[in-house]
Amino acid sequence: MASKSSMYAMYEAVQHEMRQRKDMTWLFELTPAVASNPGMSVINLEKEFGRTRVNNTGIDEMWMAGATLGAGLVGTTAVTFIPYQGSQVPFELIQNHAGKLRYMTGGDAAMPVVFIVEISGQAAGFGGQHSDYECDSYFAHIPGVKVVIPSRPYDVKGMMASAIQDPNPVVYLFPQALRQLSEEVPDEQFTVPLDKAAVRTTGSDLTIVSSGAGMMGVLEATAQLQKVGMKVEAIDLRSLKPMDTETLVKSVQKTKRLLTFDQSYYTLSPGAEVIARVAENVDGARYKRIAFPDAPPPASPEMFNWMRPNASHIVAAATRIMG
Amino acid sequence: MADQSTYNAATSISSASATRRTLLKGFAAAGAAVSMGSKLAWADGEIGYWAKDLPNEKLVDMYSTILRIRWFERTLADKQLSDRSFRNLIHLYAGQEAVATGVCAALNNKGPFEQLDVIFGTHRPTGHALAKGVDMKKLAAEYNFKATGLNRGYAGEMHLSDKSVGYIGADGIVGPAAVLAAGSAFAFRARGNKQVAVAFGGDGTFATPAFHSSLNNAALLKLPFIYVVENNLYHQFAHYSYSTPMKDIATAANTYRIPGIVVDGQDVMEVYNKTKDAVERARAGEGPTLIEAKTYRYYGHWGAPGAKVGEMGSFGYDPQAITSWRPEREMRAWLARDPVDICRNTLVSWGVIDQAKAAAIEAAMKEEVKEAFEWEAKQPLCKPEDALKHVFVDGTVAARQFG
Repeated sequence: MASKSSMYAMYEAVQHEMRQRKDMTWLFELTPAVASNPGMSVINLEKEFGRTRVNNTGIDEMWMAGATLGAGLVGTTAVTFIPYQGSQVPFELIQNHAGKLRYMTGGDAAMPVVFIVEISGQAAGFGGQHSDYECDSYFAHIPGVKVVIPSRPYDVKGMMASAIQDPNPVVYLFPQALRQLSEEVPDEQFTVPLDKAAVRTTGSDLTIVSSGAGMMGVLEATAQLQKVGMKVEAIDLRSLKPMDTETLVKSVQKTKRLLTFDQSYYTLSPGAEVIARVAENVDGARYKRIAFPDAPPPASPEMFNWMRPNASHIVAAATRIMG
Repeated sequence: MADQSTYNAATSISSASATRRTLLKGFAAAGAAVSMGSKLAWADGEIGYWAKDLPNEKLVDMYSTILRIRWFERTLADKQLSDRSFRNLIHLYAGQEAVATGVCAALNNKGPFEQLDVIFGTHRPTGHALAKGVDMKKLAAEYNFKATGLNRGYAGEMHLSDKSVGYIGADGIVGPAAVLAAGSAFAFRARGNKQVAVAFGGDGTFATPAFHSSLNNAALLKLPFIYVVENNLYHQFAHYSYSTPMKDIATAANTYRIPGIVVDGQDVMEVYNKTKDAVERARAGEGPTLIEAKTYRYYGHWGAPGAKVGEMGSFGYDPQAITSWRPEREMRAWLARDPVDICRNTLVSWGVIDQAKAAAIEAAMKEEVKEAFEWEAKQPLCKPEDALKHVFVDGTVAARQFG
């Protein structure tokens, strides 16, 4: 047990699985397969497992996703880390192949693969393309892949272990903002379920739901609201597909107030799906949505910082929903 | 066995051969030699006509396979024109039988899945499926979306899959299968065994990004991958000159410094010879090969427009032919070099079979096809609720259409 960064936690999980499976493969592009943590040994997948198993490709995300899927189809557990901006190039392979092959073959195709899709939360100064957080919804719409999104180093490791062990294809969304987080993470391998949301704080006044990098703002806002006496139930979705409807419905049955918070765009954000599922099952609740406007993020910090929702927006919206 | 002795010869190579190989490498680098072939075939006087070493039983099996595919496709064409109870959309393979048969004859198709050579097919799957060893009855049932079809009615024609013979599957999307196959080859190399992955693609796949991605990475990593381009001159309804800047797609191999082989796709023995070269290269760790088989399909892109029940081939008006109209004389010229005839004439001239035996084989294959479709007709339709299964490994998804 030690304080570990998200990257180190992820690579710990991967390294363990690669030691268990003698032919498991890892394809990466710009992100070196190396992680270090103060006081702990450096993890270097390429050095440890060699270049026939761990390979640095060119700027060819079609190859990364396609080769991973092709390896899975012949029985090899395969993982690829697709850096941000790269995930939409092979989208068809994940949507129309990975997402449908098991079904189209009547249950024959086996795809024990994980597509790690790094999504960059929008940052001032980078401008529109260098932020692709919106991919969360694109992948969640695919029927045949599990889509998960951790929000903290503990879940990064546990969900990575689960994703690798899962016989289904998994899109593992990795918000780049998580790189700045550290927390206590066990050294041994452990799993976190891929189909359960996590209730981070319990309360009876208001349910706030988010996922991934959004949870940082939610937890900050929740702390502020609790200080002024509001009893907030903060829920971390953790999985977009399958989404944990039961936990969401149970919470809003209790609070009758639901606020969703997304870093991705307003239209068809994960929050929209949350509200739709809750509205089907709960009578008489009030809803609010906070999301990035339906616009590409601008480069200017003045414009960007004004557009980007954060904890203060949550606090203000929570206050309004209570009134 | 010829394979083993040739491989041994290659490993104990004399300095004269080494110089010759270096010279040939130089030609390849200069781009002057398109058909470099396997190094193994060019050492110590080996002429590379591997079909000479095939036992009679195997040769007869190849002939039977060509006929099996031919009569299955002709039956599908007739059904498309006359049998409303047979529902499938079909992309007919008739005319290209020697390519699938010759390629699969050089592969390992029997045994546990972990040891098979695998093939990734196209949206024109019958030839590849039958040549790889898929059960014909189950194929017929799957084409008609029956519950006891090869993939339980979920696949239809374009998503067939049979891992037990190494047929990873057909693919309804033109292009990506090549990257998937190269990915399987990547996994084979990571395992350190001798499995080979083959991707079939039409001339239309040259223009797709996956063509470059698969060959580039397979070449860089020296993967046991073979790309078989079945150039039947037309992709959908356009002549391939609309999308390919050269006549021989095989010359694209020069970009990746790998062998690019042009082969007469209507001669099953030649297809076998060239595939065997590529398979040996792959197993020896020498990397990928691009094979371009020149071939032709006797029917349109899909269906059987302009065809008549009982006669082979699409002639006359094709309402789908938006861009290119296939001239009747072009079709008839290819029909005069039919793969069935070429194979039969070869086997007869080799003394493997006589004309009477050849006719008997054809009759037997027609009967097998007839029985397969009779079996199919008796198979049950799918249960509608089964549609919620098989999205993931476990469980079913929720029905949402009832509100």
